[in-house]
Amino acid sequence: MHRYLYFPVMLAGFLMAIGCYAATDQQPTLTTEDDLGPQIQQPIEFPHYRHAGNRNTVDLTNSDPTKGGMEINCQYCHTYARRSLTAGIPPLQKCVGCHQNIPSVRDKPRIVELFKYWDAKKAIPWKKVHDLPDFVRFNHERHIKRFIEQQGRPVQEVCGYCHGQVKEMTTARRQKPITMGWCVSCHMKEHVVVVANKDGIPEGGTPLGKQAYWYTFQKPAETKNAAGELTAKGPNDCWLCHK
Amino acid sequence: MIDSDSVKNLAGHPFDRRDFLKVLGWGGAAAALSGCGNTSIEDGKETVVSYVEAKDYVIPGVAVYFNSTCAQCDAGCSITGKIREGRVLKLEGNPESPINKGRLCGLGQAAVQHHYNPDRVREPLLRNGDKGEAISWEKAYALINEKLAGVKGEEIALVSGDVSGHQKVLLGNYMDSLGSKNHFVYEAVSPAVVRAANLKFYGVEMPRYRIDKAKVVLSFGADFLGTWVSPVHFAQQYAAFRKGVDGQRGVLIQAESKMTLTGANADRWLAVRPGTEGILALGIINALGVATGDVAELVKDYDKVRVSRETGVEPSNIDKIAAILKLRSPSLVLVGSAAEGYQHGLQNAAAINLLNQVLGNVGKTIEAPVSVPFPQMAPAKGKTAALKDLNDDLAAGKYKVLFNVATNPVFTAPASYKFRDNMAKAGFKVAFAHYLDETALQADLVLPLDSEMEDWGTHVPEYLADTVQINIQQPLMERLHANTRGFGDILLALVKQRRAEEYKAFDDYYGYLRSAVLQNKAALGGAGSDDDTFWNDTLSNGIVKLSGASGALSLKVDVSGLKLPTPKEIDEQYPMNLIPAVTSNLRDGRHTNQPWIQESPDPLTTIVWDSWVEMHPKMALQLGIVEGDIVKVTSKTGSVSAQVYLFPGIHPDAVSIPIGRGHDAMGRYAKGYGVNPFEIMDAVFESATGELAMHETRVNITKTGQRVIVVKDEGPAGGRQMGRKIAARMSTDQVDLSKEV
Repeated sequence: MHRYLYFPVMLAGFLMAIGCYAATDQQPTLTTEDDLGPQIQQPIEFPHYRHAGNRNTVDLTNSDPTKGGMEINCQYCHTYARRSLTAGIPPLQKCVGCHQNIPSVRDKPRIVELFKYWDAKKAIPWKKVHDLPDFVRFNHERHIKRFIEQQGRPVQEVCGYCHGQVKEMTTARRQKPITMGWCVSCHMKEHVVVVANKDGIPEGGTPLGKQAYWYTFQKPAETKNAAGELTAKGPNDCWLCHK
Repeated sequence: MIDSDSVKNLAGHPFDRRDFLKVLGWGGAAAALSGCGNTSIEDGKETVVSYVEAKDYVIPGVAVYFNSTCAQCDAGCSITGKIREGRVLKLEGNPESPINKGRLCGLGQAAVQHHYNPDRVREPLLRNGDKGEAISWEKAYALINEKLAGVKGEEIALVSGDVSGHQKVLLGNYMDSLGSKNHFVYEAVSPAVVRAANLKFYGVEMPRYRIDKAKVVLSFGADFLGTWVSPVHFAQQYAAFRKGVDGQRGVLIQAESKMTLTGANADRWLAVRPGTEGILALGIINALGVATGDVAELVKDYDKVRVSRETGVEPSNIDKIAAILKLRSPSLVLVGSAAEGYQHGLQNAAAINLLNQVLGNVGKTIEAPVSVPFPQMAPAKGKTAALKDLNDDLAAGKYKVLFNVATNPVFTAPASYKFRDNMAKAGFKVAFAHYLDETALQADLVLPLDSEMEDWGTHVPEYLADTVQINIQQPLMERLHANTRGFGDILLALVKQRRAEEYKAFDDYYGYLRSAVLQNKAALGGAGSDDDTFWNDTLSNGIVKLSGASGALSLKVDVSGLKLPTPKEIDEQYPMNLIPAVTSNLRDGRHTNQPWIQESPDPLTTIVWDSWVEMHPKMALQLGIVEGDIVKVTSKTGSVSAQVYLFPGIHPDAVSIPIGRGHDAMGRYAKGYGVNPFEIMDAVFESATGELAMHETRVNITKTGQRVIVVKDEGPAGGRQMGRKIAARMSTDQVDLSKEV
């Protein structure tokens, strides 16, 4: 082994490292600041704000599309998210199921486009907005089980942790970095531990007990923090995402 | 900088692999730490296609499972396919099947690569000179009809592999409608001689073997863990056998000329001179000393000294085997392909079966099989003699139309048959094919088949483990290619050309199958349930289990005509025996184009992607051959060249080349890898059954002067890895474990 060869190979590595570092932007401050993804052209400009947006309290008939939404639960269309790793895209059937009974918007260009696909029985070639590298297995079902079903938090808030304010968008756009560091920033936070109530359902916070550990939550700290709360971190096993 | 000088230096002093990796690792880690962009992210680039209409049970990311039947070999294991987003991903065994009880072998696992294979035929192809021209199905059917017009029944022949169930019924009806009786059932690797010997001694062709009930198993070349009859089933019986009856761990003794996977698992492995298995069996009967009458008369000359001289097995070993067989009862003696592949193969097998009779195993560890209540669905069992007959007929120009399905005779016929040339004498050749294999390439019309994961069917395995079972084969996913068709569908279309009236009720094979099953609903155990329920249950189970009567085995011992030849003198010109080895990965070579099969190391030699000539180190030393030498193996028929692998698990007088590689067609993963031992196989036949005596070929070995590094998993023998000796060569009693830890 020629000892001097260490140097060039190491140097090449460092140069690559520096080059790559320079090429990527500074990571955003985690969990708080938004990191807008590219605006992506979709085959139909689906108005999320119209479907999921907040109701217009003044015009209750909701007739002006610019002024408010229908507060439809995200899970009404994205039904697969609570049942599977992947959230999937709602089948075309789902859109048509409602829209064939809404004659008032039937002649709007986007709906006309929708029915063109339906009549041809062709799937809409949506473009992916949130993508993860192939070596990451993010589980939608688990997050929904935990935050919506276990802790009873509002659906839009929970989906919004990762997807941002979709209810204000037309076609979805990535708002969060969705990098590993960003994921971990939440998983490493000290969450308040709450003992389950008599039905075994914890009321907010990280649950304590067998089931929690089964979901690989970490054991809470021995002592309470300054605020008198017992805290624990979320799951942090590598294999949870990197199978 | 790495300039030309340092490169030269590198060539002189190899850059140590370990150091290189270390440095490269650090460099790479540094690069990775900086977060070098997530290049696999495809936001806004990749399309996500949703369903137009989704079935209720379809959830993206969540698998559904369907039961079907594995078609990689004829054992008939039931499988459960994992299907996600409409694509089959993984196969597992179906726990409900008594044959495989939820297990599946490597060959079965590789079936997905058969389905997704990029070299599948996708359109009906009509020969146009050397090219195949894609035509429509209508045209293909019309062409067959046209070519059959005016052709007499006896001028039409069909060669197929093992076939059973409703496909067999339909195939039979088609041949019947053509007025032809020339259905040749051909399997290159089949226990046909053993079947004949079993019929003679037990009264049935294939009894049920109960390895799990035996306390000693003496196997003469039966590779029941790897390739023989129903390996997944036997492997589970073997597990029970090793666990032991009454706390006595079963003892396995394997006698064969070339070590098989089963032999490698044996407690005692005996290298028998090729072809003398029967003599050893008679020697053991003699040593047991319990035989009376005819049998005693037959074996009286087979004393230890003579048997040892002829078989090469030491007298002390014969004593030990006799002793343990006497001590532990019941035992089980198996006869496999190694013993049957000789001119006197039936005599060999008969002598070995006689040992079972003498030991009183018949009825204890050899049980009567259950009989299939629908004999028309019972399997047609392949024989190598069928190919000989077909070849003779073809050579005589007897056939104007030849159909070929599920077998590749051009690849597996011994070269001396000249099968390729003889096949050309048939006027119009139709191949039902998944791939353009050697036989399909000779055809005039190639009909592309659905894979077994797209097709409907029923299968009745030859070896039934428990009850009678009819295995259901159903599509696990939609067709990958629009223009392939199911075997049953093609048959139905063809038979409709002849008997339109009889089959007009069936639009497709699915309809035929459904109605055929429902017609016999009561007999299939569905009495009382309505049609839809019964059919859905049947598909969901993937198996129809029936109780079948099992007859009694014959206990009659008839040794008349049992006569074993003395071993042949060594031929000076061709001193070695060629053993064409059947390996658990490759079998007869019909799956060689599945890359997993090619890349999974052979269980004994760990060689991948290539053929080898297996040779005893002692013989290699005599001939001055080392591992990796390319040698020419020459028989009377021809010669092949391949790399040598030295292995003590083979008789010094024998060399072995595995069957299955050496394709010159069949797609990118099969073509051009290894050599085909059928090319040098002499056409010698078993004298009673007419089966090809595959082990009778004599060869000589010459060095070609070339040498290669054998690509294998095991690393250099006793060698060093990463600069450190990993396995010291010393016997176990010399190892000081305290130092090792």
